Amino acid sequence: MTTQKAEAAPGPAIDIRFGQVGLIQVLIWTTDPGAILDELTGRVATAPKFFQRTAVSLDLGPLGREPAVAEMQGVLDAVRRAGMCPVGLASGAAAAAALSQPLDLPLLPPFREFHPPAEAADARARREEPRPELAAADVMPALLHQQPVRSGQQVYARGRDLVVAAMVGAGAEVIADGSVHVYGALRGRVIAGARGQSAARVFCQDFHAELVSIAGVFRVFETLPADLAGKPVQAWLDGDALCFGRLGA
Amino acid sequence: MTEIIVVTSGKGGVGKTTSSASMACGLARRGKRVAVIDFDIGLRNLDLIMGCERRVVYDFVNVINGDCTLKQALIKDKRFETLHVLAASQTRDKDALTEEGVRRVLDELTAEQFDYVICDSPAGIEKGAHLAMYFADRAVVVVNPEVSSVRDSDRILGLLASKTHRSANGNGGVKEHLLLTRYNPRRVANGEMMSVEDVKEILGLDVIGVVPESPDVLAASNAGVPVILTEASDAAAAYDDAVGRLLGEELPLRFLEERKRGFFARMFGG
Repeated sequence: MTTQKAEAAPGPAIDIRFGQVGLIQVLIWTTDPGAILDELTGRVATAPKFFQRTAVSLDLGPLGREPAVAEMQGVLDAVRRAGMCPVGLASGAAAAAALSQPLDLPLLPPFREFHPPAEAADARARREEPRPELAAADVMPALLHQQPVRSGQQVYARGRDLVVAAMVGAGAEVIADGSVHVYGALRGRVIAGARGQSAARVFCQDFHAELVSIAGVFRVFETLPADLAGKPVQAWLDGDALCFGRLGA
Repeated sequence: MTEIIVVTSGKGGVGKTTSSASMACGLARRGKRVAVIDFDIGLRNLDLIMGCERRVVYDFVNVINGDCTLKQALIKDKRFETLHVLAASQTRDKDALTEEGVRRVLDELTAEQFDYVICDSPAGIEKGAHLAMYFADRAVVVVNPEVSSVRDSDRILGLLASKTHRSANGNGGVKEHLLLTRYNPRRVANGEMMSVEDVKEILGLDVIGVVPESPDVLAASNAGVPVILTEASDAAAAYDDAVGRLLGEELPLRFLEERKRGFFARMFGG
């Protein structure tokens, strides 16, 4: 591309790099703006900080048909009113390809393909020049937090693991879409797999947590079990059961 | 270079003003030029503890509003000539403080070559407390050995790490110290009160001083004399030790006698 040639020039005006970010996907089952707004505001209320001004991609796959542009304007409006910012259409459905231009939203590779027909793949190939291939093997390094997480503070590792190399105070929250590792005392709340990643785990050196949640399954510790208190502990999800075990025991 | 120290806690009634007054006196007694500012607009107390309430003509808000010069508002202490008090306004509310105004006053004190400016923070985490800590280089977090005070201190430490000028500009953050007050070794020994070790562990910080619970504190406050000046008082000695540690002296902690038998008891003959 032309930008490559700019290498010779002393100071290029821009650099183009491939970057990768986690993105929330909103699966659209209906184009009724009222129903969408109701559902979204309910979800957002459960974790306002996650969703506030969060970039989201709309997946029209579940709809199974091609909505009209005006219909989609209503959908976008509802999503925006719920506090999210739609930044693209998942390209899994043929419908998305046709709507990309009139709605002025780019096509993004889908997280989960509902309809992966050949024509959609063509559309993606044509339009994704500025986008990297989101290979599953791409490595997203863990978010490293070195300072203590104090009461009232929240640390969120979006789309990756979180490593806290200090303590997590009572009333503090550490959240990751992947696993959470805490190397100081863990006294606060810990939420792993915040977007439903059920393989996420929680690891800590000195367990005193108030709450542990993995992929929405949580347990509140009003009193700590004697075999876990102050011990190195890991937590994982076995089906719908949240399990706890001593680390290295 | 002027060092700005905020004395803060989150929780009320733990001894911020008492500690501000005593540490300011202790620093002045060691020959430092010190200004101590009351940020508790509307509930001014520092001037009472310092014993200069009847000499307050102009206050912090007057200086910020440009009603008077900083020199006019600084009250010279009668005991130490290098010690100055800037009183809070009793008649305004906390909205009278602005970031720009506070910055101007602190810059002027820096230009006047004060060694230390002690900012006595109001309780809570709102505007007054925010502005008291915002420009600080160091923070003395006053904590009582009980759960709610410790929790509030943890919250304040979080704000110190994220909502200050230093943290915002990546200047290495605010240096944090813990000051335990109202420490009662007998109640700690009986398990009714958290120990120094408990508090240190929960907050993950070292203590700069442990001030024992003492009737001298109330008596001194009522008399308008910072408790550090009370003779033959454990609380006074503990504050003086804390001031020494603030200046980098290495001093063992005292007045922890009735702690669990062991290390400290052997060390201090308790």
